[in-house]
Amino acid sequence: MARTKGNQFPSHSFSRRLNSMLRVDARRMFATPLFWVCLGVSFAIPILVLVMTGMVGGAADGLMFTNTWQIIESSGGGMMAAMGGALSGGDAAAAEAEMDMTGMMNINLMYFLIGVFLCLFTAEDFRSGYAKNLFTVRARKTDYVASKTIIGVIAGALFLLAFFLGGVFGGSVAGLSFDLGDAGIRGLVMCMLAKIFLSAVFVSIFLLMSVFAKGRSWMSICLSLFGGMLLFMMIPMLTPLNSGVGNVGMCLVGGAIFAAAIGAVSNAVLKKTSLVG
Amino acid sequence: MNAIEIRNLSKRFGDKRAVRGLNLTVPQGAIYGFIGENGSGKSTTEKMICGLIHENSGSIRLFGRDHTDPDVRARVGVLIESPGCFPNLSVWNNMMIQATNLGVKNPEKEIARVLKTVRMEGAASNKFRNCSLGMKQRIGIAFALLGNPALLILDEPINGLDADGMRIMREVLTDITQNDGCTVLISSHILGELEKIATHYGFIRKGQMIREMTAQELEKSCRTYIALKTGDMARTERLLSRRFTRVEADEGGSLRVYDLVPPQEIVRFLYENGILTRDLRSAKIGLEEYYIDLMREKEDR
Repeated sequence: MARTKGNQFPSHSFSRRLNSMLRVDARRMFATPLFWVCLGVSFAIPILVLVMTGMVGGAADGLMFTNTWQIIESSGGGMMAAMGGALSGGDAAAAEAEMDMTGMMNINLMYFLIGVFLCLFTAEDFRSGYAKNLFTVRARKTDYVASKTIIGVIAGALFLLAFFLGGVFGGSVAGLSFDLGDAGIRGLVMCMLAKIFLSAVFVSIFLLMSVFAKGRSWMSICLSLFGGMLLFMMIPMLTPLNSGVGNVGMCLVGGAIFAAAIGAVSNAVLKKTSLVG
Repeated sequence: MNAIEIRNLSKRFGDKRAVRGLNLTVPQGAIYGFIGENGSGKSTTEKMICGLIHENSGSIRLFGRDHTDPDVRARVGVLIESPGCFPNLSVWNNMMIQATNLGVKNPEKEIARVLKTVRMEGAASNKFRNCSLGMKQRIGIAFALLGNPALLILDEPINGLDADGMRIMREVLTDITQNDGCTVLISSHILGELEKIATHYGFIRKGQMIREMTAQELEKSCRTYIALKTGDMARTERLLSRRFTRVEADEGGSLRVYDLVPPQEIVRFLYENGILTRDLRSAKIGLEEYYIDLMREKEDR
């Protein structure tokens, strides 16, 4: 390598800087035990839920999954129905009946797991001094926000896919139906894509909380779970099992807009606050 | 063009003004000793140069460009407080991360080069958390040297180093400034070490630059004195204090006369008063004493 000497300052474009940072973040993500633990948890949760609810529940009391895709569809909307019932002053018992397993234990839980992962992953940057190293060299705050958002979405996609595979495995072990009904394979694929693109919205919120809390992971996790909860209700509406191109497009565009807008706020937080203790 | 040019830099933390209208100029190729007491604003200034904290006002230019320019930042090596490493990764992997972030081509070769420079080749496979304080400091210096920096900013880099580590540090800094044209801004409380390598000095007090000078100017400013011992030090001090304007006892038990007089005159004066001079030498005050004098002078005002 020809070493740069004297007053030569070769250009370091945004794409070049982002490329370097993504390589480092990807390498770190796949090297950290936390990622593999989260991936394992993502795979194990649906298996445990489908198999164990089959063992302890009964179809009559509404606690049991009758179809494998209920854990992906998440359209039971137990929380939504419960809240709706409470808000409209409707029959409390009816609302309570809707608080079933399919509404509570489903793939949407992965959005919280993404939050926990991203908060711990980002907090480590600040605790170890890696962020300090990064910003004292050529990195700009924008590069950091972009890189972490992309890595968060990739991690989220992998967690969602692991949950999906776990669901399929759990469904076959529990002997559940795999009937997709009107949705079909296309709807299932679109549903998963929509969920993956939608994760960008959550990732950008979690990242904002993380850069605000810096090395204090407990704070970023609490803030992220609170922030994520506010948007949690919209997931089943935007990503039903019979999703079409419209759902995918909406999640993609929405995810991009949210990521850009909240990313700008994260960028401003990094610029305005001290990066060292 | 100067390597660092700071004008009217200010930084406030709540009600506390950490840096107040600071001006600082570091010429290219210099080893600039940045000196000040604890809390004087040295680290805050260095962190602002590195972009770790943000100035309230003023300008910082590195090689004529804004200090946030990523192209110029890519050639700034920094060691502030401690090297930012992942404790569970090996030294080599930590360095690989930094080299990738810097966009260093052929990183393996570059990492091997800088580890060899700080004599840490043998520790490459060690986990960072298992390294001693001195090793961590050397690794920090290796981090800063990655990518052939044009400017090095080192905050207390000698802390925790053993005698060999200090010698290596001196050699490395002298080598990169003389052979690679690198500029170094270094803050340290170990002034004796700093004096051996620095070509320029900046003295900061309460967030303000109180004096900038070259090593030659310091040399000229450092007053000479005559140190002596006698059999009756108490009486000698009384006599000398009456005759000369500035006489002080030093830590070694000698009396120092700072007036510009020939030594023979002092010996004769004491002899006439019945005191025999046992030990007499002429010397110059060093950086440490100059700094203490300077701070005392500013305090008195």
